[in-house]
Amino acid sequence: MPVYEIIFTLILVGLVMTALAVVWFKDLISAAISLGACSLLLSLQFYLLRAPDVAIAEAAVGAALTTAIFIFAIRATDREEGYS
Amino acid sequence: MNWKMSRVVRTVADVMVVPIIIFGVYLIIHGHLTPGGGFQGGAVIASSTALLIIAYGSFGKHKDSLSSLESTGLTLFILLAFLGIGYTVFYNFLASGGAVFGGSVHYGINPGRLDSGGTVPLMNIMVGLEVAAALSLILWMMAKGSDSMDVEEVKG
Amino acid sequence: MRRSVAALAFIIIFAFLILGMSQLRPFGEPENTEMDDYFLYDRDEGSQAHNQVNNVVTAILFDYRGLDTLGEATVLFSAVSGVVAVLRKVKRSQKEVHG
Repeated sequence: MPVYEIIFTLILVGLVMTALAVVWFKDLISAAISLGACSLLLSLQFYLLRAPDVAIAEAAVGAALTTAIFIFAIRATDREEGYS
Repeated sequence: MNWKMSRVVRTVADVMVVPIIIFGVYLIIHGHLTPGGGFQGGAVIASSTALLIIAYGSFGKHKDSLSSLESTGLTLFILLAFLGIGYTVFYNFLASGGAVFGGSVHYGINPGRLDSGGTVPLMNIMVGLEVAAALSLILWMMAKGSDSMDVEEVKG
Repeated sequence: MRRSVAALAFIIIFAFLILGMSQLRPFGEPENTEMDDYFLYDRDEGSQAHNQVNNVVTAILFDYRGLDTLGEATVLFSAVSGVVAVLRKVKRSQKEVHG
């Protein structure tokens, strides 16, 4: 098994794990950071599939700006999910 | 109002902002040679704004300047598109012989030349200006709006 | 029950991902290199002859499909307008009337 298929498999496993963790976390800041990790792994996968344009856009928008905007929005409301 | 993170974070932000902005400008002005372009470079520059806002926590009064910068970028982009109206809209009238960016590339595999491309690098610069100002303005408004709301008002 | 359904969906999606990954071309061997000759190096209709641009993606984004880029910039502009309109400063007297 060549090494790039192992890397692809690891990145896909990480993608599914972080995407499940976004739904599973009750703490919203943890969920936002997990969404950022999912975007970062997705941009790595784009780069390995040789689409560097999409990889740069995904890394800048998905991993940096969206996480910052989500955290600014969570600061204005409650940190925990659901009604207490 | 001001949350101002620790000295380590502020120093690292000071050191890292300049390479991030230089990388974004490189992505914009080399958009016709290497992967990247206006949108990607603008998003990278806006992420440096996010780093500064998070590290320092002070906003300043930049709303009007960012807004006018964004409008300027979009207006210049539309103007540049309509300058080729003699043939079609978005006609590349500067390619191979124009005043700016008018060089010609070699056929086949070449190392690339910055002075080529016609209106494509100019449009990259305009879109980069617009996207950087727009995403910075969104971040700035979100930070300021989430900061000025107090918790009582949200819960009640 | 819910947990087993979630596990089953996870296994199915993951099997499809692995299946799709096994169908990929080997790394570094693209399928159609003749598309480079068509899009980039062609002396009549290639991107290097039309626009003097090496990067075909940028040539498509800003020249052939420039109107779509204009639409994307307009979408970003209206997003900024919406954010500024929602998060503007609220008058204190209006809140006292409502509350």
